[in-house]
Formats: sequence, structure tokens, C-alpha cells
Amino acid sequence: MLDIVGVSKTFETRDRRVAALQEVSLSVRDGEFLSLVGPSGCGKTTLLRIIDGLTDATSGRIIFNGVELQGVSREMAFVFQDINLLPWRTVVQNVEIGLEGRGLSKRARRQRALQALELVGLETVADAPPYTLSGGMQQRVGVARALAVDPKVLLMDEPFGHLDNFTRENLQVEVARLWQSLKMTVIFVTHDVDEAIFLSDRIALFRTNPGRIAEIVEVDLKRPRWEYNVRAEPNAIRLRERIMDELEVRKLQLA
Amino acid sequence: MAATLQTARTPGSTVNEAARPRRRGVSPRMGQLIQIVSLILVLVAWQLSGNFLNPILISTPSRIVSDFGEILLNGQLVQAFVGSAVEMAIGFGLACLVGISLGVLMGRWRTAEHAVDPLVSFGNATPTIALLPVMEIWFGLGLAARLAFIFVICIWSLLINTLAGVKNVNRGWADVGRSFGLSPFESTRRIFIPAAMPFIFAGMRLALAQAAVGMILSGQEIGETGLGGLVENFGSFFQTGHLIASIISSTALAFIAFWLLARAQAHFCPWIRAMSARR
Repeated sequence: MLDIVGVSKTFETRDRRVAALQEVSLSVRDGEFLSLVGPSGCGKTTLLRIIDGLTDATSGRIIFNGVELQGVSREMAFVFQDINLLPWRTVVQNVEIGLEGRGLSKRARRQRALQALELVGLETVADAPPYTLSGGMQQRVGVARALAVDPKVLLMDEPFGHLDNFTRENLQVEVARLWQSLKMTVIFVTHDVDEAIFLSDRIALFRTNPGRIAEIVEVDLKRPRWEYNVRAEPNAIRLRERIMDELEVRKLQLA
Repeated sequence: MAATLQTARTPGSTVNEAARPRRRGVSPRMGQLIQIVSLILVLVAWQLSGNFLNPILISTPSRIVSDFGEILLNGQLVQAFVGSAVEMAIGFGLACLVGISLGVLMGRWRTAEHAVDPLVSFGNATPTIALLPVMEIWFGLGLAARLAFIFVICIWSLLINTLAGVKNVNRGWADVGRSFGLSPFESTRRIFIPAAMPFIFAGMRLALAQAAVGMILSGQEIGETGLGGLVENFGSFFQTGHLIASIISSTALAFIAFWLLARAQAHFCPWIRAMSARR
């Protein structure tokens, strides 16, 4: 469905070249929840941005449903770590932004936006300014904004990184539920291994310097995962150990 | 401890009285009182100075008031005020239109920025008064020259500030536009321009102050009309009372203009105050 083929990205500044990604290849299955996990600086966010078309790869290709992508695709939507709601627009107007310039009537746009807000339970604050919302609520608006355009692929860049633990756990469950009911493909970037285990079908483990995929592990845990304590599951514990080994050993070797 | 608590609850004393710490300096109400008193003292001293100073020097409040009444009643002040206000509005308005549009264009299109940049550096650096005779040569000795002068004096602030605002738009917001498939034009319209509004309004405030100066100056030098003309006229005849009345009228016009701009910002961009409060 989505193929990342030999993607490399080098950032050049006046004093140095950074190999953020080196020959990364990955096949994303239709409808799967795939996490990209690794320490900071490993290029996972860069890869996500390249997939979305926000950043250009230095080399390599992104092939989506057989077609090579050039830039941004209407079938993918991005959820930002910094949330990035536009402060001069109300909540519902923010959610509408992806629907503008597509020939929909004002009423139809608002309708679709309200439906998206209902998915995240925020239809009651539709006409509020974003700064009156808590961080968790704002990010849910960010998710609604992405869902409003009915994407085939949802790209989430450490969406809960700036939120507190309680909010994060609630939102993880919300995302899991949404994914289960909407049945779309999700590529999720995080440095939180437990989060990845809770949410994903597969986890791609990244190494840094240069950024590349070390291994892709299958997460073989029963769903729905919000109905039991995943952290206490022996399989989950084993998986976590294995992932931490893979990631931590590398860190020690670099030190 | 218990004693202080009891004091707080003693009937007759308000909780505030007991809880408020000893404050340094004066209370706001006292501050206001001092302001009013000092203002009155200045006016009284000013008035009394007229008994031993030549009124040509600084006149007296009573004379100023009566001179003010005179030029108001004979229509001179009203005509000058309205004329100046209109010229300032048109000059400023045109400068906003051109300056802000160019600023946005340059901010979003590198080629435009490179092309216009030398002109901006040159124009911004030129002492504007030097351009007065140029305006007269190009536009004659009347209204067009005055409007052109006001236009030229205040356009740079608008352009430069708008440019800075557009180029400094939050990267994340720009990403939102691109990520959701907005065309560069749509992004400019829906994201960059609203995002740059705080800068644009700051530029407008600067430009308005410059436009006021331009209004007076052009009124003085080109055709001796409007408030500038009054200042020029009364000044050259040493009619200090009338002169000061005219200057005060110019200040009033500027105040009104700034007030209108603030109202416009509050109406069209209410989010700016909210944004700055958040940061």
C-alpha cells in the first residue's frame, strides 16, 4: 500500500552535514498501525515528514498505491507534535482548514468539521477559540482536523509528547478506538516504547547516526488493548525488554 | 497566629484591610489625584506667567482658549482640521494598500523580495523632508503633492513591518497549510496574512505617526493649507495663542487617528490581544 524505498536525507549546514536518514526502506501494510520508535535525532520525524511531503528526501522514493508521490497527498493527513492550531480561528474553523479550497459549500464544510469533532468528543466547543482549551483538548482538535479530510493514511508525529501522563494515556485509548472503528492506516512516531506497544501492530526500531531502521518487530498482543492491563502481560514485558535492548545497547555503544 | 486571625474577623474591619500588606509608594487613587493637582498647578503657573512674560513667548491658557474659540467659530479650524484629516486618511490609506500588499508579495516570493529590496533600503534611508521639493516637481503645488508626500513618508514602515511579519510566521502554521494541500496562494491568504497581523498593525501604528508628521509638514510647505497651514501662518505672524491652539488641534487629530486604528484592530483582529497574553 505504501512503500518507502531507499529514502535518504542529509541536512547540510554551514559547518556540518547531518545524515538524518540513510537508505531507509519500509513497506506499510494496508490498515495497520505502525509505530516508528527510537531516541531523539534518529530521523523518525524526518521520515514522517518526507512521507507527508513536508520535507523533500535527498534520495529515494515514496510509492503510495502504486504511484510515486511528489509532494503532499490529499489522502494523507498529519497530526503535529506542536499541535499548531491557528489562534485566529475557532475550533471548528481550524478543523475546516483541510476542507477549504476543495469546492465544498460553507455549510458542507462546517458539517464535515462538526462530524470530525464529534469523533473526538469536542463538538460542544466548536465555536470556542483554541487558547481556551487545555493541551489535551487542543491536540484532539488537531486529530479531528486530520480526520476531517477522510485520509487513507494518518501520520502522527509524537502527538502526545507535550502532554501530561494522564492526558496522554486517555488520548492513547482514544486513538486506539478511533483507529479500530475508522479502519485507516496509521504511522505513529514516538519515543515512548510503552505507547508504541499499546497502540501498534508493528514497531520499526530506529538507530541514530545515521538514522536507519534496525529492526521491525511484530506486536502480537490481543486487541482491544484498552480492556486489559497490557503492561502486565508477559508477552508485552518480553517485547519491551527486547526493544529496550535493541535501542539501549546501541546507545551504550555510541557512548 | 491566632491573634492575627482574630483581627481579620473583628466586626468593622474588612478582611482586605487586615490582609493587605504594607504597600510602598502611593495608591492608584492618590496617583490620579497628584496628576490632577500637578496639571492644575502647571496651568495656574502658566496663566500667571502672562503677567510678566511677553505673551508672544508662551501665551496663557486663557488666551489660548479664547483664540481657540475664535478660529473654531469663524470656521478656519474646522476647515483646516477636516482638510488635513482627509489628506492624512487618503495618504495613509494608499500607503497601507501598497505597502502591505508589497510586503506580503515580497515575503512570499523571493524574486519580488530581491527585486524591490534595493528600493526599500534606499527609500527608507532617505531623510523624507528632502523629498518635499521632489514631490512638488512631480505633482505640482497642490493636493497631489501633499498626498504623495504623506504616501512616501509612511509607506516604508508598512512594507518593512509586513515583510518581517510574513517571513516570521510560525513554521508550524506554515506546515499546516502545506500539509493539508493548500496552494501557496491559499496559504498566503488563509495563514500567512492573519499570522502576520500583529506585525502589520505595528507597522500601521508607526506609519500613522509618520503620516501625521507628513500631514503637518506638507500643509506647511505645499500650499499653506490645513492644520499645517495654520501653524505656518500663525507662526509667521507671531500669533502664539492661535499657534498653540492649532498645535493642540493637530495632536487631537493624531490621537483620534490612533484611537480609530486601535478600534479597527480590536474589531478585525481580536485574537491579537489573546495571542500576546498567552505568550
